[in-house]
Amino acid sequence: MSDNSVNILDIKNIEVMYDNVILALHDVSLKVPKGKVVALLGANGAGKSTTLKAVSTMLASERGKVTKGSIDYDGNLIEKQNPSQMVGLGMVQVLEGRRCFGHLTVEENIISGAYSRKLSKGDIDQELEKIYTYFLRLKERRKSQAAFTSGGEQQMIAVARAMMAKPKMLLLDEPTMGLAPQLVAEIFNIVKELNQKEGVSILLAEQNTNIALKNSDYGYIIETGKVMLEGTAQSLLNNDKVKELYLGISKKGRKNFRDVLKEESLNKKIN
Amino acid sequence: MANELLFFMEVLVGGLLAGTMYSLVALGFVLIFKASATFNFSQGAMVFFSVLAFCGFMQDFNIPFVLAFILAAFLMVVVGLCTERLVLRPLMNASEDTVLMATIGLGYVLEGLAQAAWGVEVRRLDLGIGDFPVPWIADNLKLFISALDITAGLVAAIMIIGLFLLFKYTKIGLGLRAVADDAGAASSIGIPLKHIMLLVWSAAGVVALVAGCMWGARAGVQFALVDLALKALPVLIIGGFSSIPGAIIGGLIIGAVEKILEVYIGPFFGGAIEGWAPYVLAIFFLLYRPEGLFGEKIIRRV
Repeated sequence: MSDNSVNILDIKNIEVMYDNVILALHDVSLKVPKGKVVALLGANGAGKSTTLKAVSTMLASERGKVTKGSIDYDGNLIEKQNPSQMVGLGMVQVLEGRRCFGHLTVEENIISGAYSRKLSKGDIDQELEKIYTYFLRLKERRKSQAAFTSGGEQQMIAVARAMMAKPKMLLLDEPTMGLAPQLVAEIFNIVKELNQKEGVSILLAEQNTNIALKNSDYGYIIETGKVMLEGTAQSLLNNDKVKELYLGISKKGRKNFRDVLKEESLNKKIN
Repeated sequence: MANELLFFMEVLVGGLLAGTMYSLVALGFVLIFKASATFNFSQGAMVFFSVLAFCGFMQDFNIPFVLAFILAAFLMVVVGLCTERLVLRPLMNASEDTVLMATIGLGYVLEGLAQAAWGVEVRRLDLGIGDFPVPWIADNLKLFISALDITAGLVAAIMIIGLFLLFKYTKIGLGLRAVADDAGAASSIGIPLKHIMLLVWSAAGVVALVAGCMWGARAGVQFALVDLALKALPVLIIGGFSSIPGAIIGGLIIGAVEKILEVYIGPFFGGAIEGWAPYVLAIFFLLYRPEGLFGEKIIRRV
């Protein structure tokens, strides 16, 4: 029990299968300490989204199942819960690809996040004002139809909507996918602010290794469904392997795929 | 000349009011289409099932009118509950086509159940509203308009306003619109899909009961109601599958157009064109405006 007071989320050696045959996660263990930001890094198909969905129980709707290991969230063993029960327990996932309700207005989108809470009209307005202090841009666009807002605004809507559920823990799945660098920074600033001011613990799946680690306390790197490396964000940023594989920096300086090919062809000519 | 104009008005108003009866049936389709993006083929069977049960309660058990209506409405909620539990939930991850096929099957089950429980003979349903011209209107405006048509129009208007308010201003309405847009995202923020499905199917059941009462009073409560409900298809194509106002306007257009065509153009085709004219109109809409008049446009950002 003493462990729970430190870690809000404790995943122990989980294995996940889709359709009873496709093994997506082999062995993933990770911990999210209360009030911290933890980054889950890896390439496409490494198992980041699957890990998040295993936690939020969204797996079931994609015919996935946790077949081994255990997930402990805030003192509850996650087994048969459904997503709306998880939201009730204070765990909300922001899905990959933003997934706003396109035909609803920005404000309706955000209010829909409070669906699971029993709030009066006045309470909702109050919460809404608080949320807008983090997302000033959305307040200006509150009456627009969500489908017509920009990608960055849609990502903000998705996060704001999740915050209306008053989560203790947020699962963010690639919040910066396809966004311009300036917006990436803006999104991360908001995430950091929510973490510090609202005390929300955050598990963040990202491909954008550099900026994710710079905004996290701890990081895990997974590859083909296994945790390959873990450590404090600082230690991962300084790790040579991470630098070379994920940040594109080798000891000789920046390196990209074309350089590698050039080197190879040079070696061939010499041989 | 004045007489011809009066006659045209009569045809038009009669058509519009008859159209509200199509609108009532189409409403049921729209409700379910909004929530599950599925055309509910069992809607016709639901109309038949609900109104036959209503007649059965009144005629076989001598239950008073109002109580029988409440019982029948309650029965439709139970049908909604069973549909959610036995059909929709097991098919939660199935494709929309699979759900569509399931609704066809559900239709047969409901038709069979209704006839097994209440028999196959045609029943007369007396709502206490005659299907004959209202004397006051006939005397003052010189128009012959059926009292049943006027009642159907009023009932349709009340239901539309009620449903509109429900969707726009209540929490459950917001939940329903969210589910209609993206069920996965709705579930990720804690909107319980099963409650929404239950609500929608129950509401569609009650709408079916009301539509069934109107149609049953006119044409008798019989198996043909199932096919009559398919008249809602051109209504939906014209109005848009996901729009409640669309169902209403679509119904009015179909009602008016089919009556006017029947009276003025029908004779050239040997009459009885109102059976197929709406479908021809629907084909034009499919060609030139496939989302219908009020359907939600498919929004794509570029």
